[in-house]
Amino acid sequence: MTSPARTIDRSCGPSGCEVDWLTSQRHQVEDDIAAFTRWAAERGWGDGLPLIPPTEARVRACMAASGRFPDEVIAELPPLGGEGTVEKIAVNAVMAGADPAAMPLIITAIEAMARPEFNLAALNATTGSVVPAVIVNGPVRDQLAIPYEVACLGGAGGGAPAIGRAIRLVMRNVAGQLAGVTSQSVYGTPGRLAGLVFGEWEEVSPWAPLAERRGVTGDAVTVYGAMGTTNICDMIADNGRSLLEFVARGLAYHGANGALPSSAFCEVFVAVNPVWAKIIGAEFPSIEDVQQVVWEQASLPVSSFPAGYDEALMFSRRHGDRVHVAQSPQDVLFTVCGGMGNLHALSMPSWGDTRSVTAGIPSAAS
Amino acid sequence: MYVLDPTLEPIPDDGDPGPGIATLAGLKVGFRRDILWRSWDWVSSEWAQLAEQDGAQVQIWRARGRTGDEGDVMLKELDAFIAGIDVAVVGLANCGSCTSWTIHDALRAASTGIPTAAVCTEHFTGLAGTLARRGGRSGLRRHVLPYPLDTLPEAEVRDIARAHYRPFLRTLGL
Repeated sequence: MTSPARTIDRSCGPSGCEVDWLTSQRHQVEDDIAAFTRWAAERGWGDGLPLIPPTEARVRACMAASGRFPDEVIAELPPLGGEGTVEKIAVNAVMAGADPAAMPLIITAIEAMARPEFNLAALNATTGSVVPAVIVNGPVRDQLAIPYEVACLGGAGGGAPAIGRAIRLVMRNVAGQLAGVTSQSVYGTPGRLAGLVFGEWEEVSPWAPLAERRGVTGDAVTVYGAMGTTNICDMIADNGRSLLEFVARGLAYHGANGALPSSAFCEVFVAVNPVWAKIIGAEFPSIEDVQQVVWEQASLPVSSFPAGYDEALMFSRRHGDRVHVAQSPQDVLFTVCGGMGNLHALSMPSWGDTRSVTAGIPSAAS
Repeated sequence: MYVLDPTLEPIPDDGDPGPGIATLAGLKVGFRRDILWRSWDWVSSEWAQLAEQDGAQVQIWRARGRTGDEGDVMLKELDAFIAGIDVAVVGLANCGSCTSWTIHDALRAASTGIPTAAVCTEHFTGLAGTLARRGGRSGLRRHVLPYPLDTLPEAEVRDIARAHYRPFLRTLGL
């Protein structure tokens, strides 16, 4: 193990530096992925899948693609407050097998997750099974092979799993989100392995892209605290309103964090397939109208809660005699993605008191 | 082959628990509640009553939403609450996220120099200690209540609260 001298000279730019200012400790390991994975697992670095050894050459390739200096602190990452420097993010991105070209997206997503309104300290420690989903907009979807069509949330391949895994390894190794140590998640979720990274199928959506509606045009990520994914299937509805109402009612169930009597805030994420989007869009060209219908219908009558819940419901999203899953219509994140096979919508119930964040992805050159 | 270490760097730590109390008489004791745990409402109400019998003045503040505009309001309310008390009792660390905020708020109180105790249930003591250490103050006073607590009947929780009152005062240094 060696510790390099820290020499800071920025005159050569972030990618051209020959000086050694990667400050992470060096460890001598066997030049073999299986051996390295075992060795890393013993140190708690691993997630159970094979890891790419983060050699200096590989880390430098990621650094160069980031367009950033290695010592830039993107954020202090809770729960343990580790400094998320570009260098540490690059080391973990290498281990995850991420394309170096994805570094700007990975950095942007981590930066967004660290914003106070995302409540990452609580999210990374919770007993809940939450993982930050990353919804991608803009041309970067195709540049990085981030799926937004068939099986976009898993199984389509492409660059998304490694990107998601890079972010997850940063959470593990830099933020210190360790199961049973800091993370108290009772069950965890498969999304904590390779994340939930997917694109919006903007080209077939009747509405403006999600990020654009949230004030960011072009390449962007929206991070959202997702309690996994839930499927909503329908074979009956033949018009936009019926579809919307059916999907929305599928979002509201006892036990969803949004319906918790003591949940201070909640939003909800919905994705409909392109076929349904066309039907809904013809009837509801305004996304605000879509959000309004979903918000109204995604609710439960107070009378449906068991005895003893009344007092606690005073802290919830109670409007009259109903408890709404989302705080307001604006807190319904409605998107279009998925295959042309119709029949299914997707929801990602929110963890609760965490607010999604949208951020633009700078190009490496900028 | 050499590889670069992917993990976080260590940070300085202060093992000092901070000041304790010599008496409750004449002190303003502040209990921080949340919107999650009725058991903590019951425990803190029992402790408040007993503290008043010991000569303390009790103030109670309840944390609500911690994000967005409401989160900003909470921090301002918290700071005002801390400024108006002599002793901070912060709870309840009884889940992952609420332990995170309990320790956050306790560290914020302790950083002002007032005697402070975080209250946690047994299952979450490890997390509370880890967060206090990474917050730079591993010595933060912590009082541990049994677990599970919130699923017990109110009368039983209140019995536990009364039984824990004297040990709780010892946590505060009395």
